[in-house]
Amino acid sequence: MPDTLPNPDLIAALPRLRRYARVLTGDMHRADDLVQDTLARAWEKRRLWQAGSDLRAWLFTIMHNVHVNQFSLRQREYAQASLDADDGPAAGWEIPVRPTQSDRVELSEVVGQIGRLPLAQREVLILAAVEELRYEEIGDVLGVPIGTVMSRLSRAREKLRRMNADTASPLKVVK
Amino acid sequence: MSSGLPLSDDDLHAFADNQLSPERTVEVAAALAREPALAGRVAEIKRQNALLRDALDPWLAEPLPAKLLRASADPPHGRLWRRLRPALAVAATLVIGVALGWLGREQMLRLEGTPITFSRQAALTHALYAADQNRPVEVWAADEQRLVTWLSKRLNFPLRAPDLNSIGFSLVGGRLVAGNEKPGALFMYENADKQRISLLVRKDDVASHETAFRYAKEDGVSVFYWIDDSCGYAISGRIDKTQLLAVARVVYGQLAAFEAAPSPRP
Repeated sequence: MPDTLPNPDLIAALPRLRRYARVLTGDMHRADDLVQDTLARAWEKRRLWQAGSDLRAWLFTIMHNVHVNQFSLRQREYAQASLDADDGPAAGWEIPVRPTQSDRVELSEVVGQIGRLPLAQREVLILAAVEELRYEEIGDVLGVPIGTVMSRLSRAREKLRRMNADTASPLKVVK
Repeated sequence: MSSGLPLSDDDLHAFADNQLSPERTVEVAAALAREPALAGRVAEIKRQNALLRDALDPWLAEPLPAKLLRASADPPHGRLWRRLRPALAVAATLVIGVALGWLGREQMLRLEGTPITFSRQAALTHALYAADQNRPVEVWAADEQRLVTWLSKRLNFPLRAPDLNSIGFSLVGGRLVAGNEKPGALFMYENADKQRISLLVRKDDVASHETAFRYAKEDGVSVFYWIDDSCGYAISGRIDKTQLLAVARVVYGQLAAFEAAPSPRP
């Protein structure tokens, strides 16, 4: 069992941990706190990391658990995930939608749209579409069966598609 | 392969996310070529993926906060600590030893009346006032009783000016001088050759054991000093060390006698 973690790999994973933390918390400052707590937990549990395995996925797992444990509020969000009802922005989603360098308004819009997804769907979507984790890995990270991963992913994508269809300019509507 | 498994919703996602096996990828691609509606869904998923990455990838380029970089390194109780524990234990012991030594030094200084600074203070005070021909003292010997009463009150313990006439030094007078924490009393004496010596008395808060005479020479001024109870005494003068020691012995003897019978001077 390794008695340490590869520091360069850890630092290399930081930007992605930070990004995932923002998606989880919806708050820049809380995100960094979550990353910090995750790192501390990772060091505590360093003997559980299998050297050579994907450090990033392992860290995502820890972050997911730390986040679930820290914010009982999120549990309710989880419970609501299956309802798939409300399209209002998630409570506490405060990632600023900054004007990007490019003129692609849709880029800043999509950040807000992510926040309107239930947390459970948001997690799966980001891990699959952005982090490009394998579905099995996502199941491990979130501690759910792969079937749950797929259904959440499917719903997240459908919701996102509908949001875009609602807000997109007529030019982008594809019939 | 038209004989492949029927396309599922999961296939579309997995195809868009490049998570299918090479064989299945070929099958699904072939099926999508026949089903434009399904191909459209896959294209939509890919477009979403690209949009999400384009929106969130810029976050990766943001500078990292220092606290996160620190948290990425081995924690204080991590690997480094375990590896260096023996060395650190030795170092800690050393630090504790030095700290105790330092504290002990403080205690020693207190007990011994801060020997170095006390002797230097005595020498500097002597050099300053003994050189002053017109006003070496605040209160002249003519008012000795008033002088002693005043200084005793200011130092908050009974003082007396030793009588050094037997060894050729007569009292000039005295003054209050600044000390480290508390004021000190300075008695000045002069012999027939106009050589001056001074006795500096200072009382500290902490009682100490008696110490032997100590000698120091500061800026040409010889100083004999000692601690008696919590009181520091210093005899200073630009005179011969042997002569100064003789003075110190007389002073010491008189003060000892005074303490044995601490009644006000008649």
